[in-house]
Amino acid sequence: MLSEPAPELVTEVLRGDRARRPRRDDATAAGLRALLEDHVFSVFGARRDESTVVISSATLNASGSVQELSHSPLSRARGILVSTAFRLLVAQVHVTDPFEDSLSAWRGEHPHDDLLDSLAHLDDDQRARLCADVASHFATLKRAMGTIPSSWRPRTSQRARQSFGGGTVYLRDVVDLVVGTTHLDVANVALVDITTSPLGPGSERTMRYHALMQTLRSSVVPLRTSIFSSATGELWTLDVDHEVLIRAVEDVTRVLDRWESS
Amino acid sequence: MSTLVQRRLTSRDLNELIDGAPNDVAEVSDEHRVSLTSRFRAVPSSEHRRLDAWMVEQSGRSPGPFVWSPATARRLLGNNALRRWSHTSDSLLNAVRDEVVDQLLRASKGYARAGSLGHWLAGVSHPVLGLITAEAVNWATQSLECVTGVRAPWRMAASDVYYDVAGARTTLRGRRDVIVESPEGRVIVRIRSGQPGKSAGPGLRSDLVVETLAHPSGLAPRRYLGLWPDAGLILGVDGTMENVRAGARDFLRAAVAQRRLTLTRAA
Repeated sequence: MLSEPAPELVTEVLRGDRARRPRRDDATAAGLRALLEDHVFSVFGARRDESTVVISSATLNASGSVQELSHSPLSRARGILVSTAFRLLVAQVHVTDPFEDSLSAWRGEHPHDDLLDSLAHLDDDQRARLCADVASHFATLKRAMGTIPSSWRPRTSQRARQSFGGGTVYLRDVVDLVVGTTHLDVANVALVDITTSPLGPGSERTMRYHALMQTLRSSVVPLRTSIFSSATGELWTLDVDHEVLIRAVEDVTRVLDRWESS
Repeated sequence: MSTLVQRRLTSRDLNELIDGAPNDVAEVSDEHRVSLTSRFRAVPSSEHRRLDAWMVEQSGRSPGPFVWSPATARRLLGNNALRRWSHTSDSLLNAVRDEVVDQLLRASKGYARAGSLGHWLAGVSHPVLGLITAEAVNWATQSLECVTGVRAPWRMAASDVYYDVAGARTTLRGRRDVIVESPEGRVIVRIRSGQPGKSAGPGLRSDLVVETLAHPSGLAPRRYLGLWPDAGLILGVDGTMENVRAGARDFLRAAVAQRRLTLTRAA
């Protein structure tokens, strides 16, 4: 199911209809792992290359024009600032100035980041534009997200790493927000990706990839995966089922095939 | 032979590893301790050396100077918050906030020494404090997710474990996050970020040997488990004498490598 544009709070969409949640699925993960291992073997065989193939959600969308635009230092800086502001929002921290507060937090986390240097060299106009941009994205986020209850066990920037073929292929992922627990009898975990770009064809791939990585990481299939654009306020949500996960595996195998043919 | 067990990080597998841990564990005697001391004394050091599993995994290379950051503060704050949470049943976010406030109070009253977490927290800006809270909540939530399905009684470890090798100017440090206790003995759980590398086994054995040496009776835990939630993996070593010996040898190798590096740098 896809919903756009977000008519209500994101938390309401994530909660959905509690009575219709599927049973907890902890059997699918092993099959997905086997599929990926088989494909990695079919591509690499028994050989061990010096270099490893690293796949992330950005790799899946590498040919998209939106992705290429977002590679500029300013766009990356904006993404990090909005992501940091979002983390503060989820931690229920009072944010007075989204730009300055995020910058301060970012500097506290990675004081030697090269991107921070590039921000220091912005002229007044560029800095003012970035500041207004971050404030606008943050306002959209704040309006749409509301307050995420602590009882949902929210965690931000959750990382996942999986290796295949004895370390020949690495899958990496960072999800902006994960809520719920894997210990209930019904599917309960929801994933949210925050993007500063408008949603496009690659967004569905990103959602599927997050669902696949969460399944491999926890061995339990999540309930739903969402992507929210802080540029447009759009929210896409997908209930995770077997078909979604198989398509995510196909997305990954397509990248491996592309790598093999290049 | 020293063995390493590997499973997926699921409640079922974790419970199996805890329940199936061997009951027959190593017991370190005074002779063992004397022997270890003499071996460490054979590797001279110009200053007091501190060794831990990380240095064993890095072949004796010393880490750079320690710097507090949201990432280095999260484990301490997150574990303390989780311990607090288990007594109060408040939200994890509030438990982390209370923990941060406690640290700040300690600093404001002058009880926090320079370089301590409280001292550092007192000097950071409000947004950085927010990010530290977010990281600590992440750690606490992740740790809670890892151990929620554990059937045996568990508790958060109050601190890491240290063992001073008397007369050898050496302190060994073992990391531990959760202690699972049963009448048969204890199982120690260490939670780590990222994914296990090739030296994860020696790292776990190093933690095992410190835990054993620091025990009042020198009794090893039944099993030492390393949990990597990012990778969804559990690795474990049994508390056998073979593993304790292997862990001690890994520490000695790290001390020798460290000595060589120091001499090379000085030359």
